[in-house]
Amino acid sequence: MPEAELRSRLGASRVAIIGCGGLGSNVAAMLVRCGVKNLTLVDSDRVEEGNLNRQLFFRDQIGMLKTEALAVTLRRIGPELELDMAPIRVTADNLVELVRGADVVVEAVDQSDVKAMIVDVVTRDLPDVPLVVASGLAGYDEANGVRTQRLAENVWVVGDMTSDVREGHALLASRVMVAAAHEAHAAVRLLLGCDPD
Amino acid sequence: MKIDVALFASLSGCHAVSGDARTRVYDLPDGSRIADVVESLGLPDQPRIVFVNGRHAEETRELHEGERLAIFPPIAGG
Repeated sequence: MPEAELRSRLGASRVAIIGCGGLGSNVAAMLVRCGVKNLTLVDSDRVEEGNLNRQLFFRDQIGMLKTEALAVTLRRIGPELELDMAPIRVTADNLVELVRGADVVVEAVDQSDVKAMIVDVVTRDLPDVPLVVASGLAGYDEANGVRTQRLAENVWVVGDMTSDVREGHALLASRVMVAAAHEAHAAVRLLLGCDPD
Repeated sequence: MKIDVALFASLSGCHAVSGDARTRVYDLPDGSRIADVVESLGLPDQPRIVFVNGRHAEETRELHEGERLAIFPPIAGG
């Protein structure tokens, strides 16, 4: 595909990112650099000092809503971006409305029960919208353990599927960003009509 | 009726017959529901995602001959 057509297709697409932490903030930046111009950013948290070791925020943004801080950074890359920001907690009741119009949904939250809820709602109510999720990215096991696999008709999972967050198994920027790059690339391939795995 | 059951990640050790295979075939009584499979295999009480034939399914759903049940436990971290 010629680059102009590739950028045009990505630029006309919308990706909804649920969670703007270690995965979501980095996924957003990579998608923008790839040419995606329309993003929906969902996160109710504010930037904390403890986020700076892996999330795309800066010390002078501590206390800001993550959606707002991320928007500032993304617009430094692409001033023309169309950003829908939702600084609210995602629930089973508001999820469909939050991601309405997205060509791809990227799950990038922390908690396993919220991940399960997102998959449950998207596969039930939006069965034709591709969903990219992450599972298993903590610790310092080899980066090659992180991979992209198809889980269901409209669901792809990124991660090693086993590395939980626990004592001695921290979230490290290097491995989190490997997973974020897998998620972003899966989204790009889906937007271009390719199977991510 | 025969059902393919795929247990992902940490759940793979819950298969009735041990081994490396993610997917095993189970012969279940007619009318069995997903919840019956979950209970009979003793799956831990943790968040899980359930699909039948690659599509969303509630655990109350009845299974039918030849269907593919997949159960996936999402892992925290993001």
